[in-house]
Amino acid sequence: MAHRWGMVIDLDRCTGCEACVVACHAENNIATVGEKQAAMGRTMHWIRVERRWEGEFPNARVRFRPVPCQQCDDAPCEPVCPTYASYQNAQGINAQIYNRCIGTRYCANACPYTSRYFNWFSPAWDKPLQLQLNPDVSVRESGVMEKCTFCFQRILAAEAKAQAEKRELRDGEFNPACVQSCPSAAMVFGDLDDPQSEISRLSRSDRGVKLLGELGTFPKVTYLTRES
Amino acid sequence: MNAIYGLFSDAGCARKALNALRCASARMHIDDDQILVMSSEPPEDIGLDLPRQRTRMPWLAALGGILGGTAGYSLVTFTQRTYPLPTGNMPIIALWPTGVVTYEFTMLGAILTTALTFLITTRLPRSRRGLYDPEVSSGKILIGVADSDSNFWRDLERTLYEQGAERVKQYSHA
Amino acid sequence: MDKSDSTQSGHPQLDRDKITQDLLRPVLHTSRRFYGITSILGAFVLAGLAAFLYQAYFGLGVSGLRRPVFWGFYITNFVFWIGISHAGTLISAILRLVNARWRRPVTRCAEAITVFALLIGASFPVIHLGRPWLFFWLIPYPSERGIWPNFRSPLLWDFCAILTYITGSLIFLLLPMIPDLATVRDRAAGWRKRVYGSLALGWRGTPREWHRLEMAMRIMAVVIIPVAVSVHTIVSWDFAMVPVPMWHSAVFGPYFVAGAIFSGIAALIIAMALIRKFLHLEEYLKPIHFDNLGKLLLVMSLLWVYFIVAERLTVWYGNATPEMAVLLATEKGKFLPLFWAMVCCNFLIPFPILAIKRFRTITGTVIASVAVVIGMWLERFLIVVPSLEFKYLPFDWGHYRPSWVEITITLSTFAAMPLLYLLFVKFVPIISMWELKGGEPVAAPREEEVPAWTGSTAPAEEPLPGSGD
Repeated sequence: MAHRWGMVIDLDRCTGCEACVVACHAENNIATVGEKQAAMGRTMHWIRVERRWEGEFPNARVRFRPVPCQQCDDAPCEPVCPTYASYQNAQGINAQIYNRCIGTRYCANACPYTSRYFNWFSPAWDKPLQLQLNPDVSVRESGVMEKCTFCFQRILAAEAKAQAEKRELRDGEFNPACVQSCPSAAMVFGDLDDPQSEISRLSRSDRGVKLLGELGTFPKVTYLTRES
Repeated sequence: MNAIYGLFSDAGCARKALNALRCASARMHIDDDQILVMSSEPPEDIGLDLPRQRTRMPWLAALGGILGGTAGYSLVTFTQRTYPLPTGNMPIIALWPTGVVTYEFTMLGAILTTALTFLITTRLPRSRRGLYDPEVSSGKILIGVADSDSNFWRDLERTLYEQGAERVKQYSHA
Repeated sequence: MDKSDSTQSGHPQLDRDKITQDLLRPVLHTSRRFYGITSILGAFVLAGLAAFLYQAYFGLGVSGLRRPVFWGFYITNFVFWIGISHAGTLISAILRLVNARWRRPVTRCAEAITVFALLIGASFPVIHLGRPWLFFWLIPYPSERGIWPNFRSPLLWDFCAILTYITGSLIFLLLPMIPDLATVRDRAAGWRKRVYGSLALGWRGTPREWHRLEMAMRIMAVVIIPVAVSVHTIVSWDFAMVPVPMWHSAVFGPYFVAGAIFSGIAALIIAMALIRKFLHLEEYLKPIHFDNLGKLLLVMSLLWVYFIVAERLTVWYGNATPEMAVLLATEKGKFLPLFWAMVCCNFLIPFPILAIKRFRTITGTVIASVAVVIGMWLERFLIVVPSLEFKYLPFDWGHYRPSWVEITITLSTFAAMPLLYLLFVKFVPIISMWELKGGEPVAAPREEEVPAWTGSTAPAEEPLPGSGD
């Protein structure tokens, strides 16, 4: 059965703890760029938590919004890549093929969410930290674009397991690292094309909005707006 | 090939020399294509009236353009169908981008065809053999006759001198 | 007698001889100053090459680029130099087609600028790559990777367009060079004679060769104009095709083409002034040429203002929030100094100089042109960077500051251009001799004088008048 993977993020539940950010770094072998590079704006948070202040002191409130790659159906980052390093695979994921990337960075400019990240240097891990690298995910070299893939390695692993056990994937059987690590269960992941899945129910909620939906990118990440 | 030619520094005299040769063509058995002209400027710019030349170069350039456009279109459609990777929900053969690439290849085809036709019709690059006098590039105009009847050589020489040639030379090469 | 140029009416052979002599002098004689200037320029170019290799080895992190400004100085330079390359096309092709007489000394200068600016401009897509050693993946060829490039990407359109334009410009430059190369061949000796001999392809100057050459030039002139228009339109579509505030604009195509022609004419004026001064070609590049080009530059300046107004008025009136953020950043925010510098350089300084005839002298047009070149570089910068700094999500706004690597490479291209040009001037006569002579009237004035010639140069021993032949 063909899947169309999507995500729902409940902004009422997000506490801004950034556990998702850390989990993503761990799962996907993302480099920590260091203080100097971060000050330049070269962080590599495939999922980032955006922060917004509302109101004036003493009634100021802070709002959080985690932004992964929105996995757009009509992704503007895909047609502009000259080497097909960015394209949409059969499961609706906007795939980034590191080996094809020559680093024109056109896709990063085209992405309205700026959810794409570039390896300005070759990442390096001081010993013994290289032992923590996830063997299921390749390590990228300098000059290559990278971004959130909805932990496609976990999707593939779950599919392989389900195939070995000769059954279909079950809803909620596995999750990307960010969804798995969220302490307030603000994120839900699943198959949008499966009418029984929790996500297809949630993404049709009245509170559901798409980030920058007016641009016509048709993202597969739905945000449930705050009610409080 | 044998040739007798005169070098003229004045275009008016060169033109008169050309006319004289033409007038004498019946008597001296000279065909039009035996008459040699060489100059360092285009003949029209110096006032030599030569028979109009016809060429199919523009048509060939257009044909080259069509071939180029076909090649470009085929390149896009063939390669994208062979490896169909969907991007941004665009069709695999997207009309507008295909049009842009086809247009560029059309123009490239026309350009390359023009250059090629130029080389072929002028028979350049030319091998070293053949008549040429370096004084032509100093501004002299060469008017002469190739492979004429040897009985008329002195006649030709005199005609060229009378029309104002600075020098008259003979060229002889196997 | 029609002698609109200042050369004295005398023996036509002397005029033409003098033309050949003056124009061949730089090719046949080299001064010490040439070596000095070439060394300095070469040093700058080498510095740029070293900076590029440093960047290729350590990664693009050595540049000032960052998220979200993924394109900065390099793409600015890319667009700028491709823009400069539009000089040759306009002057050569359009003026050839309308048969403007004053173009004759100017065509090769312009065509050379086009070729070299294109070479420099086309190197920037390679310089700015994250993995530049893989640039050849942009070339459509059947590779072992089993994949072709993506023709839906504007970068591939860039590749096709620039390939076509470089091919066309090279042919446009080389074809009319052949007769002049033959002239140099006939005056050179030794290995130079052999080199020029092969380059001249054995040209003799027969009517057949001349006719085909002129026909080829006519076809090329017609074909190269739409190519030039399409090239810079496609370069502009690198920006216009993506949803970035103030990039995604339909006006970008014509806007960029107008800007390209504008900067191209300015570059041409500067090049011509330098050649005139250093090669002592005052008799050939005359104030009238600078006057005419100055008028063209004025028109392009006004056209540039038109496009700026059209774009900014539309954005301002439309009041879309993301676009207004970019607009205000340029006009009131951090880019205000650069914006006003650009307006000054592109309009406020050139306009009075070029509009008032008294100021439209050689010096005046050169000052205006230098201002325009600076202004157009700033304009490219202000198109690329502010839009990227202020994209749709404010949390991701950033600031861009170029690093020494980008500045070095940029400066080295400004040295590479004159270096390439200098080398070209050394090897080929920079003014097309046959075209220049072709503009001098020949036949008509001589008619009355012919009777004085008849028989007077015949060698003494030959019997006289050849009547009735």
